[in-house]
Amino acid sequence: MTFEERLTEIRRRMDAQGLDRIVAVHDGAHFIEKPDPVLVLTGFKSLGPCAVVLERGGRMTLVVTPAWDASRAARPGLHVVPAGDVVDGLAGLLDGHGVTGSVGLAAAPFGIAQRLTQLVPDAKPADDTVFVAAARKTDTEIAHAREATRIAELGFQRLLEIARPGVTEDELAVELRWHSKSLGAEDNFVLMCAGPHNKAVAPSHGRRLQAGDIIVVELTPSYRGQLVQICRTIVVGEASEVFRNKYALVVDAMHQGIKAAQPGVPMARVCQAINEVLEAEGYGEFCHPPHIRRRGHGLGFGSIEPGDVALDNQTILEPDMLFMIHPNQYLPETGYLLCGEPVLMTAQGAVPLTVQTATLAEIKL
Amino acid sequence: MRTMHPTLLIGPADWDDQQMPLEEFKARLDALWRDDWQAGGAIVYGDAADHAALAYLTNFTPKLEPGIALLSRNGDARLLVGGGINMIPAAKPLTWVGNLLPLRSAAKTAAEWYTTLPGGSGLMLIGGDAMPYAMHNEIVAALGPDVGVDDGTPIVRTLMRHKSPRELAAIQEASLILGEAIAALQQAKDQGVSAAVLAAEHVAWHRGAQDVRSLFSLDGGRTLLPFDVPVSQAVDPLQVYLAVRHSGYWAEGFAMLSGRPHGPLIAAEAALQAVLAQVAPGVTPAALNETIATAMPAFGPHPVTAPSVIGIGLALQQDVAFDEPLGVGEVLSLRAGVSDPQQGSAMVSAMVAITESGCDVFWSAA
Repeated sequence: MTFEERLTEIRRRMDAQGLDRIVAVHDGAHFIEKPDPVLVLTGFKSLGPCAVVLERGGRMTLVVTPAWDASRAARPGLHVVPAGDVVDGLAGLLDGHGVTGSVGLAAAPFGIAQRLTQLVPDAKPADDTVFVAAARKTDTEIAHAREATRIAELGFQRLLEIARPGVTEDELAVELRWHSKSLGAEDNFVLMCAGPHNKAVAPSHGRRLQAGDIIVVELTPSYRGQLVQICRTIVVGEASEVFRNKYALVVDAMHQGIKAAQPGVPMARVCQAINEVLEAEGYGEFCHPPHIRRRGHGLGFGSIEPGDVALDNQTILEPDMLFMIHPNQYLPETGYLLCGEPVLMTAQGAVPLTVQTATLAEIKL
Repeated sequence: MRTMHPTLLIGPADWDDQQMPLEEFKARLDALWRDDWQAGGAIVYGDAADHAALAYLTNFTPKLEPGIALLSRNGDARLLVGGGINMIPAAKPLTWVGNLLPLRSAAKTAAEWYTTLPGGSGLMLIGGDAMPYAMHNEIVAALGPDVGVDDGTPIVRTLMRHKSPRELAAIQEASLILGEAIAALQQAKDQGVSAAVLAAEHVAWHRGAQDVRSLFSLDGGRTLLPFDVPVSQAVDPLQVYLAVRHSGYWAEGFAMLSGRPHGPLIAAEAALQAVLAQVAPGVTPAALNETIATAMPAFGPHPVTAPSVIGIGLALQQDVAFDEPLGVGEVLSLRAGVSDPQQGSAMVSAMVAITESGCDVFWSAA
């Protein structure tokens, strides 16, 4: 799918819903779980709040703040309006005629969203018009995902080189982000922590690594606005036999999930396949909150469809969908274990983008 | 200053009670209640992009998901953090607040907390404009129509203007790191734009920066760009913007590096030096702005460096009252930028703290 074909699909959906235009807004605070309709519609990753008006006829206008950043947004066929304030910039573009759909409103900051609702009081929520249409990645996004995966795997190698007792989690995290930037990633969601028995994966802080720690890490570089993630577990020292066996169990669950991800199958089936492996070993109670919320997720920064790998997600999988499959399981014997791969749906099923899927890593001391 | 916002804040943000002891936060809270004597409590919102007020009152930097502090005039403090109950241990080192609760069901939690306040208490909502629309509406609905909620954000912004000695020390350290990073940039500038910027960032991170942001120019300073993909070419002049955060506090710097005389840079540096000579208590930001503008009459002002005078601290950019005299303890970033289609562009800046006798220059590009 090309970018233009996706735009055509979005406009087709607008037509089907009787929308004359959509107004899509994003605050410029890029977050892994917050989809960015402006990025989907224009390919522009903003510094500040920005908005797009897409008319059913195809005319598209992008309001950019700060105004001095407008030249970076220039693209063929896109009318760019520099503005000091995104809502003020929109005000001159909306004449009040026709049916308007809003995208991104619920996640927008109150200070923007409230004024926007006053500007277009009758706007109908139309998030799906944009985000569901972007559930399948474009050829360019897929190429970017492959490059981001390469960077993620190199980042993991870097982590194995530098993780030693005495180093703080924070020091590791900043080095990993810097390293991935040096390889071309403009951002990296490095969620990493360590301890003898982790209850979850959490943002790094000042704790120093100790021998015997378990490092759990989500490395999530973004290459030109496309995120991918790998989830890994490292033992600082030598893993026990029990630990190795339990990790192998979680890896097996992940591969069962990958195998279950087939075109035409609901996403829930992927989660179910993972749960079945763990339930068979007596870990049923750990397959639910607070131990686990989901078994994977979509990958932004644009659309985060097809959504979570969760039992309540009935989204039907299609080729060119990109998402994470990560069992990321708490087990009482080991604590929280991370293993996960970015997978691309193909006509034959889900294919990991990684060269090396998760195995337990050990740092010899 | 707008920079590309990272998806996760990853630098060191633990609460250091030697550096910023509890008494500092208690004094801030006392001032908050003093300035709104009717409020029985405050709901303070912060997220990764906008959390200066939350950090000011709790030291908490919401690295991942938003945080909401529920602060009572009677001293009770609760902090709602994202990610579920298993994430709470990871949030504890970041704040002096001992009572941490999950952010999920924030509206219900806030409404229940309100019932612990004396009957009829008014509330302050701080940072409410940054709160996601859906969350804001849920909280207001949960509190009910009879609860008076005032916007307390301006009160905190005013309190944050005048820095304590501990805050000044943090900003001075951030400025020192900024200076070392710019020096590294100078050293590496012939290795290509990205290599130079990465060298500067690396120095800052290794000096313990909590966050580092950068922008650079490929057109001689006319526009600034965030990092997209590596740029191997070297440019002269090299215009950069670098912001460094340490212990919660920001320092920022515009610097132009060139191996040869560059008219716009000479003009911008002269304007910066002129304004540095003028900074003192009692002078207004408007007067400083005027000095910068009139010191470089041959050039137009650069749109990126407008306004020329900003406040800085826990927020990377804090508006200043342009017509109010500056007071001791305020910290400013002074920016001189010129842009001319024929002659070219340049931007330079300085970090200053207002003192009794004038100002301390924490860092300057001129």
